[in-house]
Amino acid sequence: MRATRPGLPLVVVLAVAAALLAIATVARVISARAGFLVERESVLVVWLVGLFVAAVLVAWVSRAAFRRASSPLNLWLLALTAVALASPLLLIFAQHPSS
Amino acid sequence: MTFLGIPALWRLMMFAGEGHMTRQLRRGRRAVAALLLTAGILSFGYVAVASYVAEQLVYAAPTPIDKTPASLGLRFAYVSFPSRQDHLTLRGWFIPGVLPNGRLTADRAIVVVHGTRTNRESKGDHQLQLTGELAKHGLAVLAFDMRGAGESTPAPLSMGTLEQRDVLGAVDLLHNGPIPMPELGRPRVIGGLGISMGAATLLMAAAREPAIQAVVSDSAYAEVVPLLEREVPKRKVAVLGHVPGGFVPAALVMSRILYDVDYFAARPVDSIATIAPRPLFLIHGLADDYVPLSNFQRLNAAASAPSTAHVTTWLVPKARHAQAFKVTGAEYVTRVVSFFDASLGADRSLTGVAA
Repeated sequence: MRATRPGLPLVVVLAVAAALLAIATVARVISARAGFLVERESVLVVWLVGLFVAAVLVAWVSRAAFRRASSPLNLWLLALTAVALASPLLLIFAQHPSS
Repeated sequence: MTFLGIPALWRLMMFAGEGHMTRQLRRGRRAVAALLLTAGILSFGYVAVASYVAEQLVYAAPTPIDKTPASLGLRFAYVSFPSRQDHLTLRGWFIPGVLPNGRLTADRAIVVVHGTRTNRESKGDHQLQLTGELAKHGLAVLAFDMRGAGESTPAPLSMGTLEQRDVLGAVDLLHNGPIPMPELGRPRVIGGLGISMGAATLLMAAAREPAIQAVVSDSAYAEVVPLLEREVPKRKVAVLGHVPGGFVPAALVMSRILYDVDYFAARPVDSIATIAPRPLFLIHGLADDYVPLSNFQRLNAAASAPSTAHVTTWLVPKARHAQAFKVTGAEYVTRVVSFFDASLGADRSLTGVAA
């Protein structure tokens, strides 16, 4: 159990991302019944709250895993978690503006 | 930063249990801790800001309609009809064509599609005057508010991806819906005229709907994403002000995740070839710096590719974005009416109905 703990943050990051997508979809479907003007704000609020909770959860799990990380393999797993966390930032390079 | 507990988290990550470790491992731990904290803070912040930008992007406040075709001395009927597929309520005017003898006709109907952040009156590009001119030249006009615009049902702005269902709903109304003016009967043929986003939307709708037998596209974009990537950073977003361009790709992705608005699918250039062999008239202003001329060139090349293509083009000197009618006036009307006359045939209602 102890050996796999440093891999837990990576699993949590992926699970939290999937959960956020699911929550956003459910929020959209439910709030859409009240019309787009309600949907628009509700979905954003639910998403931002979810994002905050996700950030706290990932930070907490990462901290716990970090305290147990005592081998290079453990550190590599945590570094991989950091890369997964940073992946949304890659979108910055996705631009292709027209002339 | 302090209230977020980041320094405390930093200390905990950095120094917890380091006593028994080698110097190299300690360095590695510190590097990974820095990487985790930086990636976490930047990513969550980036996604949060992009989500807010997406929320602003998908919404355009409806603008009021001040004038009706009556202000041009034209008869018209208010119409209300559902969009195809998702059945949102859309509202508009049905304006019968006026024959030279003064009688009214609905034999040839033109669906007129407005641009973004405006409505069926569309003061900026004088759309009401244009629809009035078409009607005075014997073409019936269905001018309506797309979803989220004017008096139609609030809905996200998708730059054509979802709005094409509105154009298809307008075609359904003319084809088999309640006849707006029963005394004039049902239109024999249907054409379409769109301006800016309306043109892009019409092109995508016409590619799917063969009932649209002739298309006039004025100032359409080939694809919307490069346009948004260039224009969004220029606009002020509420609360945030100007948003750096780096947030736009994420905002586009977030629009899809949060609101199911796929801006990446707003690409008339991919489907325009399907319009052939139906006649297509592409108009673009040579001074258009909002939708650059390269969009026209790409659309023209794609539309002309099939051997059966029937594409007419007109590049309007000194015309900025969606200003061709404003700049050329009567010439615009003459060219468009001639195109529809040639494409849809002459009015066959014979005598029409007394006005």
